[in-house]
Amino acid sequence: MAADDLTFPRPDDLDDVHATFIASQLRASYDATPAHDATHVARVSRAVLAAAMHAPSGDLAATPRSRGVRPRWWWGAAAAALFMTVLTRPWRPDVAQRHADSALTSSASDSMGPTNEPIVSGRTSEEEGGTVRFEFTLPATARAVSLVGDFNGWDAGVTPMVRDRSGRTWSARIPLEPGRHEYAFVVDGQRWVVDPLAPQVPDAGFGPTNAVVVDIEGTP
Amino acid sequence: MTLSAALLIVAQIAAVGTPPTGDTIQVPQMRSQPVVTATTKRSPVAFDADRFDSLTANALRGLFDDAVELGLPVRPLVNRALEGAARRVPSERIVRVVREHAAALHHAKRALGDLSREDELEAAAIALRAGLDERAVEAMRTSRGRESVVVPLVVLTDLVRRGVPMANAQEAVARLARAPRSDDILLGLQATVAKNAQRGPGMALDALNRYVQATGVPPAVAAPISPDRKPVRPPEP
Repeated sequence: MAADDLTFPRPDDLDDVHATFIASQLRASYDATPAHDATHVARVSRAVLAAAMHAPSGDLAATPRSRGVRPRWWWGAAAAALFMTVLTRPWRPDVAQRHADSALTSSASDSMGPTNEPIVSGRTSEEEGGTVRFEFTLPATARAVSLVGDFNGWDAGVTPMVRDRSGRTWSARIPLEPGRHEYAFVVDGQRWVVDPLAPQVPDAGFGPTNAVVVDIEGTP
Repeated sequence: MTLSAALLIVAQIAAVGTPPTGDTIQVPQMRSQPVVTATTKRSPVAFDADRFDSLTANALRGLFDDAVELGLPVRPLVNRALEGAARRVPSERIVRVVREHAAALHHAKRALGDLSREDELEAAAIALRAGLDERAVEAMRTSRGRESVVVPLVVLTDLVRRGVPMANAQEAVARLARAPRSDDILLGLQATVAKNAQRGPGMALDALNRYVQATGVPPAVAAPISPDRKPVRPPEP
């Protein structure tokens, strides 16, 4: 159906003589209204400013004491300083620690998930017999995760990690000599990932890795 | 591969004169022994030359031989090369990184002393490449005495990497390194700072200060007043 076939009249088609008359009268009344003079404008401005601002200091002496003390601009600053000095005292160590801990639990970053758990996390633990257990948790299910490091020639095919029942945590247990070792995790044979919380070896040309120190204290 | 890199590698091959072999070779630990190092404390690592093209493998062999002549451990260099190959990094970059790492090991040995162990040299080299200066490494050796500086250097490198200012990290690690069972304390410091560093700027330093305070390890005793000051003559009676 075309727009011209509409049965309802459009606003332009309305021919309301009363509306036209009322509009003309309104327009005439607006034209007849005198403009505000400068004194009126100044009076209104002063009233608005007086309502928004505090009274000048000179008014206190002129004001009778029975009318009370009018607020001063510095009262708020003094109250805030008193509040900080007496009650909050953020420089106290225990308060600072509380603030830091609350910040820990409330904020999130790129490596934190919505449940405030690291998206990627790992753990190393020394076990009996000179073996070290590596654990690595991923947010999504990976097909394969390998452990690479200076102990296996950085070969992703040497030390595959075993997945647990949850499907997110992978682990491997390998014998390691005492000393410092570097390692990383290879996800699906392509992506090199490091444990964000373990000691990090900065990128020196290839990419970051992790470091683990195995029982170094007894080494002669 | 650029022409300059190829020429560089060819020049190194000509200088070293090692015949290329495609087999897996055992890197010599000490061809000559100018100084005593602890490179033999760790089992040797095999340099799998098949992972590299022949030019790169020979260039790397030249770097390893140079390291042996300087008394530097070869194992970290071999590991660096194998890591680059595993990451499928271009050959020129592998050679460059191995060369830079050898230089860092040389500086680390200068800072820590000739009797330093391989792990210590490697940790110090990583620290130097992370931005620490040799004086910081020397200070760590001084504060640690004859004990290993591996854990302090690993922790110090990690702290600096996580945004703790160098002076604060160095002071804290040197302070904790004097305590008994300091390795466990230092690794606890690293874990605490790592957890807190993820929460925002300044949190790493705040966690470091709180941790150091909680350990109760006293700060280093201030150095006595220099004795070369002129004594004050007592007033004449």
